Amino acid sequence: MTTRDYQPLLLKNLHRYDSARLSAYEQSGGYLSLARALKELTPEQVVEEVKASGLRGRGGAGFPTGLKWSFMPKGPGPKYLILNADESEPGTFKDRLLLERDPHLVLEGFLIGCYAVGCNQGFVYLRGEFVEAYRILKQAVEEARAKGYVGKNLLGSGFDCEITIYRGAGAYICGEETALLESLEGKRGHPRLKPPFPAQVGLYGKPTTVNNVETMANVPLIIERGGAWYAGIGREKNTGPKLYCLSGHVPKPGVYEFPLGIPLKELIYDHAGGMLRPEHPLKAVIPGGSSVPILRSEQCDVLMDFDSLVAAGTLLGSAGVIVMDDTVCMVDALLNLARFYAHESCGQCTPCREGTGWYVQILERLERGGGKMSDLDLLVDMSDRIQGNTICPLGDAVAMPVRSYVMAFRDEFEYHVTQKKCLTAAAVS
Amino acid sequence: MPESPTEQVTLTIDGVSVTVPKGMNLIEAAKTVGIAVPHFCYHPNLSIAGNCRICLVDIEKMPKNQIACSTRVAPGMVVRTRSEKAVKARQGVMEFLLINHPLDCPICDQAGECVLQDFSYHYGTGRSRFEGEKVHGPKGVDLGPHIVFDAERCIKCTRCIRFCDEVTHSSELGFFNRGDHAIIGTFPGRQLDNAYSGCTADICPVGALTVTEFRFKQRVWFLKRVPTVCSGCARGCNVDLGINENRIYRITPRENPEVNQTWICDEGRLSYEPFQKSERLGGAQAGPTAGPSDGAARPLAPGAAWDEAAAALGEIARKHGGEAVAAVTSGHATVEEQAALKDLMDRLGAEKIALPLHERGEDDALLIRKDKTANALGARLVGGAGARVSDLVPAIASGEIRGLVVLREDPLGEGGEVVAEAFRKLSFLLTLDWRKTRTAAISHLALPVCAYGEMDGSYLNFEGRIQLVRAGLLPFQESDPAWKPLLEIAHRLGGGEVPASAREVFRSLAARRPFLARLDTPAVGKMGVRLDVGTV
Amino acid sequence: MIPGPESRAKIDAAVREYPHAPSALLAVLHLLQQERGYIAPEDQVWAAGRLGLSVAHVAGVVSFYTLFRQKPMGRHHVQFCRTLSCQLRGARDLLEHLKRRLGIREGEITTDGRFSLVTVECLGSCGTAPMMQVNDDYHESLTRERLDALLDSMK
Repeated sequence: MTTRDYQPLLLKNLHRYDSARLSAYEQSGGYLSLARALKELTPEQVVEEVKASGLRGRGGAGFPTGLKWSFMPKGPGPKYLILNADESEPGTFKDRLLLERDPHLVLEGFLIGCYAVGCNQGFVYLRGEFVEAYRILKQAVEEARAKGYVGKNLLGSGFDCEITIYRGAGAYICGEETALLESLEGKRGHPRLKPPFPAQVGLYGKPTTVNNVETMANVPLIIERGGAWYAGIGREKNTGPKLYCLSGHVPKPGVYEFPLGIPLKELIYDHAGGMLRPEHPLKAVIPGGSSVPILRSEQCDVLMDFDSLVAAGTLLGSAGVIVMDDTVCMVDALLNLARFYAHESCGQCTPCREGTGWYVQILERLERGGGKMSDLDLLVDMSDRIQGNTICPLGDAVAMPVRSYVMAFRDEFEYHVTQKKCLTAAAVS
Repeated sequence: MPESPTEQVTLTIDGVSVTVPKGMNLIEAAKTVGIAVPHFCYHPNLSIAGNCRICLVDIEKMPKNQIACSTRVAPGMVVRTRSEKAVKARQGVMEFLLINHPLDCPICDQAGECVLQDFSYHYGTGRSRFEGEKVHGPKGVDLGPHIVFDAERCIKCTRCIRFCDEVTHSSELGFFNRGDHAIIGTFPGRQLDNAYSGCTADICPVGALTVTEFRFKQRVWFLKRVPTVCSGCARGCNVDLGINENRIYRITPRENPEVNQTWICDEGRLSYEPFQKSERLGGAQAGPTAGPSDGAARPLAPGAAWDEAAAALGEIARKHGGEAVAAVTSGHATVEEQAALKDLMDRLGAEKIALPLHERGEDDALLIRKDKTANALGARLVGGAGARVSDLVPAIASGEIRGLVVLREDPLGEGGEVVAEAFRKLSFLLTLDWRKTRTAAISHLALPVCAYGEMDGSYLNFEGRIQLVRAGLLPFQESDPAWKPLLEIAHRLGGGEVPASAREVFRSLAARRPFLARLDTPAVGKMGVRLDVGTV
Repeated sequence: MIPGPESRAKIDAAVREYPHAPSALLAVLHLLQQERGYIAPEDQVWAAGRLGLSVAHVAGVVSFYTLFRQKPMGRHHVQFCRTLSCQLRGARDLLEHLKRRLGIREGEITTDGRFSLVTVECLGSCGTAPMMQVNDDYHESLTRERLDALLDSMK
């Protein structure tokens, strides 16, 4: 199957103007999977089906979802399933699309998940800036409640499930699952030490699992068609349909759905329209949101799935594909991201708190033309001191890009030192 | 927890085999074999924060370094604190901590006991690659009545915040902002003013929180540390006096898990101040006066003073019987002093010994006792106390009691004119005190005794724990520990040889009194001994 | 007096939703900000009392989250995205244009109180870059012309 023939599964309802309404969702077979799960499957069977599907988390970590659910203890609760709708990774906007345009798809998957792990009060942690999504989601929950999909004794199954929508207030770090839990408990979003893991000690100290929006959107499909069918999409250990977010120097930025493993160049050239300005060829691509190592254009013959990108020295991450042409100064681009991480660092632990600010100082100096050669090795050395030594992955999320940009575009960084200006400005102007 | 409390785990740290109880963290486990794992945010009496990252260690089979403070021992675990991976991480953390840290060492009170200084010395690279503007913040902020805050020095370890949340439950402190602009502080306009606020300065690893009363007073490396106990209340928190050139510059808590853990209240921390501010009684003085001024007092040599006291008290006892002599003992006095007064009273056949109460406020949930004397229990068990001052006053006023010995108390100062009128009828009033009180001023004889910090002795705290107080200062002028003049007077009335030291007094007392279990002072030591004192 | 009866009713409802009252703190702060336009110190004291939290805790939370403002903003609070994908599509020049048009710098308010301006990090709209959020609303696929028209329409 070529990707041109691909029929969307996750985005299949979006052609309708009223795709967010329950009536539209039910017309296309919505909530039948929930009914099937509640009436025909035990929670364990739901978990097994999801395991069989090979579904891996779509938030950035790619952890197998069925396995994650199986870490939850059996037995009485309270136990919590939380929908992580705090999408804040630069370059990523797929969860927002799902929440605003097909909230019931997400809700249905979430409710099935609650059933699978034994959660009677599911929380949606929604990014505070997503006000439109909040209104739409609130309405969707009320529509679902009226139909008996939310609340007590869902569809006569005896299973209760209430949904509470929790609005964040502007903090990228709250997308990290333990910081999310802290925020949900009414505190600053400071990530927790692990162990203990949320499945043992989570929200309010109770067993908890946190799942991404897109991950949950896959669940109704898995219950409807079966895990084995789902596993036929993509390849082994990299299964299912995937939403890719294209942004930057492409004529048709947006969310694209394809089976996991589409070639990156096909995504850019066959679907997103190629390069924005044909006179400015591809220079670099960030394949998975700002926190992953960058690819030079000659490294872009790669498949967009978890394992292929790891083999290529980067990560699928949030599938935020940021395309850059040859007008982009890599020092400037890195400085932009370094400022992002410095702004978003919670401030708890030493390497991230101090290191993110220091990165910005060094990069500003380099960008302005006041940098030294030793700054380049310093940046890489700092990354070695930060990565793996912090409480949460935000340290890694800044260290990996810094190291990869300096190493992949060393000549450009050196040019900034010796010529005190951008290589690209000189080349392009 | 279901596991047996004595279940042991064996692991290897830096090649050394270590066997410790299950549940112990790696910092404590390493300590048992003398391996120091550096740490800032970890404190054994506070929850684990794990944010400083300086305690990162290399554990075999784990790809990333792990923080030692929150990692529990596991059988067969192999830990390396000095592998290349661990050292690189540690040096990284040190460098990161120093990039925004101000170069305040020359004016910072923490110098000499600063963990950041010490770790830079032991674990740092000795050079900085930082070239830029450091993050700035408020300095010299009066955060509370006893605490000065410097935001630039703060390393955000959050020990102070956790202390106020978990120990005093007062939660005055919070964490504000994000990233390298994060800062600790109070709600705007509020103070850090719980009763133990000074403890935040103790636990602050750097000079971000310092005690106001100690600010710029003394470099800590000049201070001699004298282990003793606080005299501010019946708890007897273990403390160190910080002394230089015969002056107490500060009191800091000394760890005793069975008394005060690592804490002391602010009042106890500053309890040395009254001793520095009151007017001292420097030598024996004799002579009755009608009013509070001591214009008619005449100085006496000690020997002559003791002779005079023995003669006067002996005569009253001979002519009018032991019932005509009484004493006021004190919870401020040491066990040795209280015992000596009791001995003197026994020699005179006198039985009435009053103990004034000094209570203020309530016992709190942490350390503070409302009994503001360190040794009221000693006064009752050893000092023979059984009456109130108010019991004695009518008998003095009626002339039934003619001779009175007052130890470290000021009944006139406390009791006003009624007491004064009665006391003026005494044939012989002997006072032993460290300061010029109103009682001393009208006494026939006032003898100078040591103030807190000038003598050895012991206290019994409210739980019956015997603890040692130690001398760190020279006695003021002719001051003695009160047992000395009391036993000298008793000796002149037929009592035994006067011991040469507080230890000898204690030993002979311990031999006579079963509850003291024949202890000698070395056995009491720095931690004290909990005694079985029965019902009191 | 803030919070007014309507806010209080919403706050009571929010508190009821959670097994533990402190979880309602962010919802309470959102509501207080909606009513006053920002969160004043007395609001923080009120929230602390209502939920059984220390004032230091509440103040720490307010200072952590970027959507919570402790000073009044303009009627139209412009939050302009400055992260990479928007930068790649001309956000830098557009921001300069915006600042010239409003006559203010980041962090400032126009003298007539109509607009305030801040730059913010990625708003999750990279496919329609460059973009901004004004109060609650996203305005995407901005061009100089669209931006000018939008600003004109905001009274």
